[in-house]
Amino acid sequence: MKKIILFVFAVASLVSSCSTPVSMGKQYPAMYEEKPLTIAIMPPINQTTHAEAKDYFYTTMYMPLCEKGYYVYSPYLTMEMFQQESAYDAEQFIEGDISIFRKVLGADAAIFTIIKDWKRNNVGGKLTVDVEYILRSTKTGQTLYSREGQIKVDTSIDGGSSGLGALVGLIATAVNTAATDKVIAGRKCNAFVLSDLPAGKYSTWHEKDADNPAGKKFIKATVK
Amino acid sequence: MRKLFIAAVAVFVLTSCNTTQALYSWHNYEDATYQYNKKATEELKVKMMEEYKKVIEKQKGARGEVPPGLYAEYGYQLYKSGKKEEGLGFLKKEIALYPESDKYISRIIKQLEK
Repeated sequence: MKKIILFVFAVASLVSSCSTPVSMGKQYPAMYEEKPLTIAIMPPINQTTHAEAKDYFYTTMYMPLCEKGYYVYSPYLTMEMFQQESAYDAEQFIEGDISIFRKVLGADAAIFTIIKDWKRNNVGGKLTVDVEYILRSTKTGQTLYSREGQIKVDTSIDGGSSGLGALVGLIATAVNTAATDKVIAGRKCNAFVLSDLPAGKYSTWHEKDADNPAGKKFIKATVK
Repeated sequence: MRKLFIAAVAVFVLTSCNTTQALYSWHNYEDATYQYNKKATEELKVKMMEEYKKVIEKQKGARGEVPPGLYAEYGYQLYKSGKKEEGLGFLKKEIALYPESDKYISRIIKQLEK
């Protein structure tokens, strides 16, 4: 009997972990109305003191957006264009007119990101990133999708419970954390946050995911 | 038998959480381009170009096609390193595979040929 109850609980927790009350179609209706095909990645807006975060995070969104089924303009190519056209500061566009990207690139939508946190804690063994994502239509200017993620990557190493072991673990954690590129946390953040972005034309899920459960608007997670 | 049933139910429940195959094979593209972007050395460029070739030639993703932007990136790099004709060829392949990129890629080609 005990075993059966345990099993029922296990199944219930698995089922509930795959479902949230709001569907993607309800949470992101504009995505299903406009059906953007092409996305331009805007240079990130960096609110942290880590200047390198902007350049390094910029290119990480390309692959996950392609995997979602969109045509994504290569950030390596658009970066040069944005710099030439003095558009490398996305702050001037985040709430303004972005129809220029439709004219110049043919983009249906532009994705903006705001990096709110980008740090490394060697002693505690954690990399932390906090990024807000906003996808805006170049046609209507409306926000099609927005979500924020705070992701911590745990780089700690357990050296054991003895005094010496704990010290070894502390040093190993510091070395491992220092050696792990912060961009890894950025990539994980993309994977978490963009997981409930409705699928684009090249995905087998295109126009079939409206009933799938959407995630929370703010997602917080710690990953190994 | 009961264990088998339990395992089957567990597998069914887990697979109902939508797992999908990757649309494209990226090989080591992300790391190679990132490293070159961080430090533009000749050695890292060679590695990056090798990855471009792999992504273009060895596609085992669900779509069986080269990912958006890849022909364009590779073509652009080839052009910049002096292989102009070959580079232009790849840029045009991008437009052929993804007609929605026409406006942008044509603009790049125009700028390169100036």
